[in-house]
Parts: sequence; structure tokens; C-alpha cells
Amino acid sequence: MTLEFFSNLYMAFSVAIQPTNLFFCFVGVLIGTLIGVLPGIGPVATISLLLPSTFQITPVSALIMLAGIYYGAMYGGSTTSILVNIPGEAASVVTCLDGYQMARKGRAGPALGISAFGSFIAGSLATLILMLIAPPLANIALKFGPPEYFTLMFLGLTVLTYLASGSMIRALMMACVGIFLGTIGTDTISGLERFTYHSYTLMDGMGLVPVIMGLFGISEVLLNIDEQSTRREIYQAKLSNLLPNREDWRMAILPILRGGLIGFFLGILPGGGAVIASFGAYAMEKRISKNPERFGQGAIEGVASPESANNAASQGAFIPLLTLGIPANVVMAILLGALLIHGMKPGPLLMKQHPDLFWGVIGSMYLGNAMLLVLNLPLIGIWVKILKIPYPILFPLIILFCLIGCYSLNNNVYEILIMILFGMVGFLMKKFNYEGAPLILAFVLSPLMENALRQSLIMSHGSFTIFFTRPIALVFFIVAIFLLVSPLIPGLKKVPKGGDID
Amino acid sequence: MKSQSRISTLVWLLFALLICVESLRLPLGSWRDPGAGFLPLGAGIFLGILSVIAFFQTGPQKGEKVQRSRWSKGRWKSIVLILLALCGYSIFLDFLGFLLTTFFLLILLFRFVEPQPWKVAIGGSLLASVLSYVVFEIWLKTQLPPGVLGF
Repeated sequence: MTLEFFSNLYMAFSVAIQPTNLFFCFVGVLIGTLIGVLPGIGPVATISLLLPSTFQITPVSALIMLAGIYYGAMYGGSTTSILVNIPGEAASVVTCLDGYQMARKGRAGPALGISAFGSFIAGSLATLILMLIAPPLANIALKFGPPEYFTLMFLGLTVLTYLASGSMIRALMMACVGIFLGTIGTDTISGLERFTYHSYTLMDGMGLVPVIMGLFGISEVLLNIDEQSTRREIYQAKLSNLLPNREDWRMAILPILRGGLIGFFLGILPGGGAVIASFGAYAMEKRISKNPERFGQGAIEGVASPESANNAASQGAFIPLLTLGIPANVVMAILLGALLIHGMKPGPLLMKQHPDLFWGVIGSMYLGNAMLLVLNLPLIGIWVKILKIPYPILFPLIILFCLIGCYSLNNNVYEILIMILFGMVGFLMKKFNYEGAPLILAFVLSPLMENALRQSLIMSHGSFTIFFTRPIALVFFIVAIFLLVSPLIPGLKKVPKGGDID
Repeated sequence: MKSQSRISTLVWLLFALLICVESLRLPLGSWRDPGAGFLPLGAGIFLGILSVIAFFQTGPQKGEKVQRSRWSKGRWKSIVLILLALCGYSIFLDFLGFLLTTFFLLILLFRFVEPQPWKVAIGGSLLASVLSYVVFEIWLKTQLPPGVLGF
């Protein structure tokens, strides 16, 4: 086991340290931090935006860069929470509570510092656990058949709708819409065209990139314009002394470790992710604290714990993608799409068929976390300056990037029209409190779910009992049903926040 | 608020009906061998049922953001302008080419949505369109449409 671990570690670093991969890892974490800093553009839109540009590079470099954007955004998201009281990312919402209070008390430096150090420590810890857990889990996943896959994906969707920040019914509705959208195009089993209406663009199915860019990129711009949330005030105090002192470390180190562990395991949970991890870690710290009244008044634990948790969760989320081929959240759903476009099939065999990809990405996470630490502390001043770019200047550029990203995928203007359509739909969805995350996850999972469902029914000669007679499938199914009916059970409270990733 | 929320569920109900009608035109197969229309029909039926439930659960749900006003006064014009500009962009992109279409789109967005001085609008549009052309077309070799003028 130990020998295998070190051999894997060697492979991870030998791939990650190659100059090209190192370069793309750096580009990824840099872009990730930048978009994490900028409110109004998140990792979902950015990864979709840069997806077409990765077609020119190897799948390993592509995944390393896209992964770097994701966990890099978690680092960057804290900067705006602390300095502006506006979370750069949904996963940094809870950091506002104590981070901004610390800044107001003249302790912005240590708040930013501990969030960077905490993210680094938790990120590295999460990568280590990822290395230890992934291989045995992939071996177990080899025993999965279509019924297990179907019930697991069903569970993932259920968890996401259960954790939705609004109405669970509406989240389930969005999951149904996503499943329908995923069926558009040529049916892989019968070869029949479905809902294409002879459109050449729709024959291969609705493109993932135009749908995501519309729902998360264009709609966000429209919402910001509509709500005039285009002006923001930046904390003006001079930033100095970014290094936390000995007392800060004493108070923060255990919350960092606890946040890292909670974050990692909540990140693995299908439908979970960085948002729920940061809230969970904060709530736990407050509960076990001897002085819970300090929380919300500028407690350093209130910054260290959620920031560690969201970073660890972003790495934990790779477990179901790389070992089972099932995305745990929307970002992972896009990465799944990216891997499929690159001709890779994520799942239990990925580790055996493409060890360079699997271990290379893990190795790059260690290096990426170190780069982020080195990048973030000296560059905080630059991020603050970027934050001062007025939104009226920024939004046309966001739209331009969406247009280029969408068009360059297939050189097809109709995909731009699809993006505009989903931009409008996404804007209305936000206005009426429908979440985009369940729609996207269901949209990506839909073809996989359909194949698994149809294969299961063929295997069982049309009997649905196949989902109840196989132990693993039964467990997934029971948990999913429990989550679905739990809001109806008196005394069982719904988890208050989470769900939306972007 | 309440009626608008209900209308949104009715829109989804109509959409669900449309999905069901269109799915029924596809072969549904049997339980033993489900056809191409099987899953979309299921999704349509569930969407319809959930829309009806949501219709009767009007008003903001527990934990849902309560908005004072769903629509900002006068801002809808900017939203419509952006959407029209984007539609225009997709129509003229192949004909006029990337550089020109992008330049005009950016001027429109800079100048008329959140009005900037002409100097900023023209300078920013020129800089952004040329820079993006250099990065994507020349550096990343993305094939952007040249249009009738050849660039």
C-alpha cells in the first residue's frame, strides 16, 4: 500500500511538473483567482468560456487548467468577501460574516492571510485524502452495473434539489427540464432524432457550453444590470501585515483542519459542494466554540474554517467524477463534458486507462495550491485594484468572452442564439427563484441516466425490481427517497442553504 | 408577486404539456425495451405534476429570497437592448465579420446600456475587439468569421 502510494505520488508529480502542465496549472489558478475576485463571473461561466480553447492542448493539460480555475476561484472568492462584503463566489458568502468585520476592525491583512493559508493547508490535506481514497473507490465502482449507476445519479440529483436554497419542488422542476434538454438530439440507442425539427445544430444535442454560458454568464449580466448592483464600495484601509500572528494561528489551526475534513467529505457528496461545505464548517465551529457570540463580530475562526472547507470541497468533488464518472456538482458536470469532448471516459477505468491524466491532475493540485499561496499574498493589492474596475466597463467584456467562447466551439452562430435564449431564460429563472444548478446537472446526467435506465430495464426484462434487489442500488434508492419525502416528515428540518455552485 | 409566481408555474405546466405531446410522437417502446420517447415523456409528466404542486404553493417558500419588487423600474429597457444587440450580433456576425460586428456591439453596450463617454466607448470597443481578435484568431488560432471585408 505504502509502496503503491509513493509510486502514485511519483507519477503524479512527474506528470504535473512537466513544463507545459506546470504552465497550464499556473494559468488556471491565476484565472481562477481573478474570476473568484470578480463578483458576477464565476467558475462555471469561466470554465465554459475557456473550454473551446483547451481543444488545442492535451487532455491532461486541459483538465489541469480547468481544475485550477475551480479551486483557484475558491481562493479568490474570499478577497471580495473580506474587503467589499460581497462574496466573489457563492462558496464565500459565509466568509463575509466575520471577514468583513475583521476588515472593519483594521485586521483585513490577517483575515486575507489566514484564508490563503487555510485554503492551502486544507487544499493540500484534501489532495492527500483524494490520493488515498480514489483507488479503492474506483475498484468498488468496477462492480457497479447500470442499476447502481442509475440510482447513484438519481441520488445525486435528489441531493442537489434537497440542498437547493429555495423551494425543493422548483428545484425538482428544473431537474426535469434538464433531463428533457439532455434528450434533445439523436437517440444513441435507436438512432432516432428527438426534438431536433431538422435542425443541424440540434442533431448532436443541445450544446453544453451555450446552455451554461446563457444560464450562468449572460443571465448574471442581465441580473446585475437590472438590479443596478453595478456599483460597489471597497474597503479603503491600507493593507499591511498579511501574516497572521501567533495568537491568530493558535485560534485558527484547528478550525482549518476541521474545515478541511468536513469540506472534503461534503465535497464528495453528489449534489453537495463548496457552498454547503463552507456553511457546514462555519456552523460547526460556532457550535463547538466556547465563545459563540464572537462569531459575526470578526472571529478569525469564522474566516479560517469556511475558507478551508470550500477549498477542500472543491478537491473532494473530483472523487465521484474521476472514480465513478459522475459529477458531484455543476463545475464537475462541465469537466465531465470537457473530458468526453477530449475523448476520455471518466469512470472507474480512467485510472487504469489514463493514469497520466488521473495522477497528473492530482499532482497539479499540490502544485496549484502552493502557487495560489505564493500568488495570493503578494498579489492581493492587484486584486483590490481589479475590483475597482467599474461594472459598466466589465460587463461588455464578459458578454464578449461569452460570445467568442460560444461561437468558437463549432463556428456556429445558432449556438449564440441558443446562448441568448438560455440567457433570457436564466434571467427569468433567477427573477422567479428557480435555480440553474439542478437543471445543468440533470442536463449533463440525462444521457448517462437514460442509458443506465434503459439498460437496467432490458436486463430485468422490464421489471423495476432490479433497483430494489441489488444491495448497492437499493441503498442509493432508499437514501434518495428518504431525501425526497423528508420535507413532509414533521420534525425534520431542511438544510437552510447551499446548492447553487456558481 | 403571488400572481406572477403562479404565472411562472403555469408557463412550466404548458412547457410540460408540450414535452408530453412531442414525446408521444416518438416510439415509447415497452417496459422491456424502452424507446426514444420514454424518458422525455417521463420528464414531461413529472414536470407537469410538479408545476401543479408549485402552482398551489404560491408565494415565497421557506428559505426563499423575498424580493420587494421583482422588476426594477426602467431597467427593462437595458435588458431588452442587450438581448436585441446580441441577436443582431448573431445575425450580422457571418456577414460583417468578427472585428466589425464586435466593435459595433461593444459601442452599443458601452454607450447605451450603462452610458459611458463617447471617448471611453469608442476607445474601449476598439481596444477590446482588436485585442480579442489578436488573442483568439492569431494566437489561439480560433476560426473567427472574416466576413465580406475579409477580417
